[in-house]
Amino acid sequence: MRLLLVEDDVMVASGIKLGLSDAGYAVDWVGSGERAEEVLRTETFDAAIIDIGLPHMDGLELTRRLRRAEIASHAMPVLILTARDALHDRVQGLDLGADDYMIKPFELPELLARLRALLRRSQAATTAVLSFGPIELDTANRRATAHHGPQSTAIELGPREWTVMEYLLINAPKPASKDKLLQALTGWDKEITPNAVEVYISRLRGKLEPHGVALRSIRGFGYRLELSEPHA
Amino acid sequence: MALRFIGTHARRATRGADALGMTSGLRRRLLVMLITPLILLALVNAWFDYRSADNVAAQQDQRLLALVPLLADSVIGEGANPGDAPILLLAPAVEEFIKGSDHAYAIADADGKALRGDPWLAALPPTTTEPEFHSEENLGVTWRIVRQRQQTVLGEVTVSLADGSDPRQQWARSILIKVLLPNLVLVAAAAFAVRWAVERALKPLLDLREAVERRSPRDLTAIDAGASPEEVRPLVNSLNRLFGLVNAQAESQRRFIADAAHQLRTPLAGLQAQVEAWAQAANAASPGDGTVRLPTEQVNKLRGATRRTSQLANQLLALSRADARTMQAQPMQRVDLKDLCEAMLELHLDAATAKRIDLGLDAQPAQVMGHEWLLRELLGNLVDNAVKYTPQGGTVTIRCGHREGRAFVEVEDDGPGVAPAERARVLARFYRVKGTQGEGNGLGLAIAEEIAQAHHGHLEMQPGADGRGLKVSLAFAG
Repeated sequence: MRLLLVEDDVMVASGIKLGLSDAGYAVDWVGSGERAEEVLRTETFDAAIIDIGLPHMDGLELTRRLRRAEIASHAMPVLILTARDALHDRVQGLDLGADDYMIKPFELPELLARLRALLRRSQAATTAVLSFGPIELDTANRRATAHHGPQSTAIELGPREWTVMEYLLINAPKPASKDKLLQALTGWDKEITPNAVEVYISRLRGKLEPHGVALRSIRGFGYRLELSEPHA
Repeated sequence: MALRFIGTHARRATRGADALGMTSGLRRRLLVMLITPLILLALVNAWFDYRSADNVAAQQDQRLLALVPLLADSVIGEGANPGDAPILLLAPAVEEFIKGSDHAYAIADADGKALRGDPWLAALPPTTTEPEFHSEENLGVTWRIVRQRQQTVLGEVTVSLADGSDPRQQWARSILIKVLLPNLVLVAAAAFAVRWAVERALKPLLDLREAVERRSPRDLTAIDAGASPEEVRPLVNSLNRLFGLVNAQAESQRRFIADAAHQLRTPLAGLQAQVEAWAQAANAASPGDGTVRLPTEQVNKLRGATRRTSQLANQLLALSRADARTMQAQPMQRVDLKDLCEAMLELHLDAATAKRIDLGLDAQPAQVMGHEWLLRELLGNLVDNAVKYTPQGGTVTIRCGHREGRAFVEVEDDGPGVAPAERARVLARFYRVKGTQGEGNGLGLAIAEEIAQAHHGHLEMQPGADGRGLKVSLAFAG
């Protein structure tokens, strides 16, 4: 994955670049909005991380320009960094087309997690494949597979199980609310009850467990897909 | 009509006075309050006098009328020779009357020819036998004339009597001199007196204002109440109380900044010490490849210290923003507590999972008026605390709904809890219960409490279910 980092503070930038590179991303770093604009005209990136507090053209302005089809692709996710966590700044950033924001200083794991979420969202939008860990759902061809290295095993899912799985995958790694699941399932069955949902969940759980994916119940809320801890 | 004029003038005057200052406003108000009744009285006075002028005129008419029959009876006979005027024997009253230079009489025959008296007064007889009154000007004098047909020994004649003394005019003049003029003088004197009195009376207030204005913005010491006059003293006392409050607040802010700076130093000192040591080692190393080997443990510790410092900075910012006073300036909006709880669950789920803590929700729909991002901070702090201090395998529940008609939000855990004695103290800034492990600045609850107060409530701490752990709740005002 290729990322563009737009940040003028050398220390922050080198820290982020190092952290992201270690996580397997290819990071290009520019120190100003103007330079970023230039680069974006000629190169493509999978995502951009933009600091708001840039000299001259600020990050918000750059984001605004990004979203006008002249430079970069519309679909490229943008994450903005800001030291000011006033509500106003966040709202403005999101309104201008940023997909997420992070407040400086932040912890690297969180940056990585948010980046992953952004990338998977943009992937899901462009491809029909949803994935979590080894599990992959090909929504176009109605196929569920588990990948372990070079091996792929098909997973059989009934129609309602498929809907539940799809919903869980879309939300992953965030938990999915049971209420919303019920709503998603009422497409099939006007009479669906919470208990019925639990039945599907437990069936799914059984099918996913062998592949190292746990379906955890979140008390009072819903469910979440998690990678099982490797057995000692 | 005169009153309306006074009213508008006064209103115009007071409007202008706002621009001039408090003395003009007060002075004009007093002037208006004093002079308006005075003028009213003068006018009423004048009106009554004018009425009595009417009486005088009526009296004059009555007098003239009374004299008419007397004058008629005065004709006792024809003149000695034909063509002569009739003989008159005037009654004493009539005689008395005509003695005055501004009195006149005339007796005229049916053709209006004067038989006796002043010729100019003679005129044709009136059409009725009723007396006729009118006023006439003659030779520069206004005469009041009465005319009546009377029977005399010589037959019917027209008797006319005229009074040129013009009591009305006299009365008007007397009003002017005896009533209006003194009133005007009184009004003018009152105006001056008021002006002077107001200046004198307000002088202490003006002095006070000058004294306060002369101070520098930093000088919030009390004003000497003893040196001010009685009436102003309550104001001075209130001002001093206000100064006291502002001083206390400024003092508490100074203390807070000092505390915060002190708190920031601790983790920063640790950071710096580590980095200094590494830099020294790196620089001292004999020409290496420009790299340093660092023990993982040290790096992790450093990371922890850095994170703590960042967190402290964020919390200090949150604390200053949660200040109840600043919040009053911003309007409250509808906040969905259930959404908030769900968001908090998502946010802290990973941290809870890492400690194998069962983080769950018990959320009923509930909405309140508040500041969303502040409530987010509050709830975040409570959940953060619960997850941080509950040991492995514990349970934390985020709850919201309605209780006894009030919306509430709470976080319950089955961790070590807080002893009743500590509960009040734990809400203080930078306070951490002794022996608490883990990283923390002691600000989380203090911030949450400030936010609770900004929402007109306060945090309540109770033991959790089965008397274990801690349950922190905030009930919103109905």
